[in-house]
Amino acid sequence: MKSARLVRREGERPLSGEALTELMRAVLAKEKPLRFRAKGSSMAPFIKDGDVVTVRPLGGARPRTGDIVAFLHPVTGRVGIHRIVREESDQFSLKGDNLSGGDGTLSLGQILGIVCRVERAGKNVHLGRLAGGALVASLSRSGWLTRAVDAARRVSGRKRERGSK
Amino acid sequence: MESPISLDFAYGPSEDVVVREIEGEIIIVPLVSGIGDLEDELFTLNETGRAIWRKLDGLKPLRVVVSELAAEFDAPADLIEEDTVGLLQELARRKMIIRKGSASER
Repeated sequence: MKSARLVRREGERPLSGEALTELMRAVLAKEKPLRFRAKGSSMAPFIKDGDVVTVRPLGGARPRTGDIVAFLHPVTGRVGIHRIVREESDQFSLKGDNLSGGDGTLSLGQILGIVCRVERAGKNVHLGRLAGGALVASLSRSGWLTRAVDAARRVSGRKRERGSK
Repeated sequence: MESPISLDFAYGPSEDVVVREIEGEIIIVPLVSGIGDLEDELFTLNETGRAIWRKLDGLKPLRVVVSELAAEFDAPADLIEEDTVGLLQELARRKMIIRKGSASER
């Protein structure tokens, strides 16, 4: 009989979609944030595979266009993390920044929480709202967001290079 | 300061955690009040830990838990006691369990 042990789960096999869905619903129902390691690249470059994501409950607030939210996928019933690219009354259109197609229209009740923090290698990642939620959402909707971010990074890299010379 | 773990008391999950048994694994999520904590947030238990956790119903004194586990695992009670108390100390330190009361209080 091995000694009883409590161990951190991070670094072990990732949570399954079902497990993450169940845990997120349980934690957010208690009005607390959930922090976990993301899988997949549908939200690259803002959220990459292995990033640590914190989702906070809506707490009565209405999510806005440009927000990255956790939602229950209407077909699979599992949790997804995508951006709101359009809103109309209580209907929200969601899409992964790095995907060509959207998730369809969701009601407010299908949105579980808002991504409030993304950490990569111990540093916070900017979530793409500083430029204005509507602009980011519009770029994501058109499929230009990832290219725009790559271009901005190239420009800023060149500026840094020039500055160091 | 936390009270030491006592065999005369019952213990159960605290309100500060969400616990789910999913796909044979017990996953413990501490409910943090802020989000500034840089520590990883998900915990799990090994097989022995799971056997102990499942018996923490907040009703049975730990002495009973130890004796049930000793019978189930066919192992010396003093070894089980040491292991169980050690795990509960760690769980209490992380505020994952609370003391529910002694048999004499009920």
